[in-house]
Amino acid sequence: MSGPQETTVGAQPDAGALGPPLLRGEVAFRLLVDAVEDYAIFLLATDGRVLTWNLGAQRIKGYTADEIIGRHFSAFYTADQRDDDRPMRLLGWAAEHGRFEDEGWRVRKDGSRFWANVIVTALTDEAGVPYAFAKVTRDLTERREAEEQQRTLQLEQRARSAAEEALLARDRFLSIASHELKTPVASLQLVAESVSRARDAGRLDDARLDVGLARIATATRRLGALLDELLDVSRLTADVTPWASEPVDMVALTAEVVARFSAGGNEGRIHLAAPDAAVVSGDASRLDQVLTNLVDNALKYSAPPTPVDIEISEADEGVEISVVDRGLGLDETSAARLFEAFGRGTNAEHIQGLGLGLHIAHQIVTRHGGRIEAGGRGAEPGAVFKIWIPRDGGTPG
Amino acid sequence: MTRRVARILVVEDDETLRETLTEVLGDEGHEVRGAAHGYEALERLDEWSADLIVLDLMMPRMDAFEFREHQRHRPDAATTKVMVLSAAREIASAADRLGADAWLAKPFNLADVIDSVAELLPRSA
Repeated sequence: MSGPQETTVGAQPDAGALGPPLLRGEVAFRLLVDAVEDYAIFLLATDGRVLTWNLGAQRIKGYTADEIIGRHFSAFYTADQRDDDRPMRLLGWAAEHGRFEDEGWRVRKDGSRFWANVIVTALTDEAGVPYAFAKVTRDLTERREAEEQQRTLQLEQRARSAAEEALLARDRFLSIASHELKTPVASLQLVAESVSRARDAGRLDDARLDVGLARIATATRRLGALLDELLDVSRLTADVTPWASEPVDMVALTAEVVARFSAGGNEGRIHLAAPDAAVVSGDASRLDQVLTNLVDNALKYSAPPTPVDIEISEADEGVEISVVDRGLGLDETSAARLFEAFGRGTNAEHIQGLGLGLHIAHQIVTRHGGRIEAGGRGAEPGAVFKIWIPRDGGTPG
Repeated sequence: MTRRVARILVVEDDETLRETLTEVLGDEGHEVRGAAHGYEALERLDEWSADLIVLDLMMPRMDAFEFREHQRHRPDAATTKVMVLSAAREIASAADRLGADAWLAKPFNLADVIDSVAELLPRSA
């Protein structure tokens, strides 16, 4: 039979040549650990000194056994980690839990960094007191880089599809916007030509001129309202002015909005039920826009003299406002798409406007950390829109 | 050759445009009535017969397509000529699907309206 130097895997070593079976097992295991190249496997004393070293440790960390044995393992950590006492805290956690896994940057002998997965296991005596720590370290730099690359790729892909979606949305936007703008332009053109033709024919009396001017005024207002809606959207997108974060009394603000609509020919239609005050933190002019759009929406989608009910209450560390109309109502499909740009209900194609009001409201409410939702009134005709703004949403951003 | 005075029904949901069209066609000597949507147009046709229907595409309550379905089932109105008005980009194909006799894209000028209407009306000697 051969001696120990010639022992090969699978061969049965001569009994006695390697000592007792237990010792033989330990030696074999030691040889195995020493030869592992992909993992740094070594022992630490309880004070953090390096006790053993293997090939993997040398390959990953750059130190030879002679250079590192006896030195403190904090040499593997960055200066910041050392300042933070991370190495010894790690041993503390391992002592407490028996085992501790960590992932982070470590430092090689040459000062270069690598991304390491580290498992520290406490080796304990019969009383459960650690007498050493086994540390297994893997170099995951390549995997991490691959993951980073994958993540970057995903981000790029997401950005690209977002850009493509934005282009499609812009085309849809321009198509709808130009469609809507053409009707008042047609009116303006026709009225102007009709008035001048009546004058040429000697038929232009005061009454006819008044009617013509009134029509021009109506069409111009319509154009103005459409342009305002377009500007609201672009203002939201371009976002030139910073968002304020100040106390806003939603009751006072809602009352202002209601007064504006009431003065605009909806006298008595809007009913407001509210406490004396309900303050949130936010941007008053943007929140005004939300309320304006919701009230405008309710009035537009319901016929006079049906009422529009607004209720304000403090709820869930914030303020809830519901706007209820008795108009066309909402089906479920419409409610889900309502807050997208041009996502107006399937039963509302003919309603004048660009269908952007609710989209704008949704954007603003979301940026205040709030919620907006829409639904029907069950068996009753009409729709309910609810917003909730947190009392302290921080800085909208 | 004199132009025939015709009965024209203007179906358009935008009030300003509807009233202006009614007025300018009235200036041409036609007898014109207006309707805000397809349903109202059918009501007008119940009591009054038109030689030409000027029809907006998208309207509340009843749009041009639904209106045409109903119109075709009315013996007294089935063959009435139709001119479609719209700002939609696909107006030509929509007019085709509607079986309309003519179409006019918004915005349009007065001469467009008057000429298009005149072309659709039979001339009397």
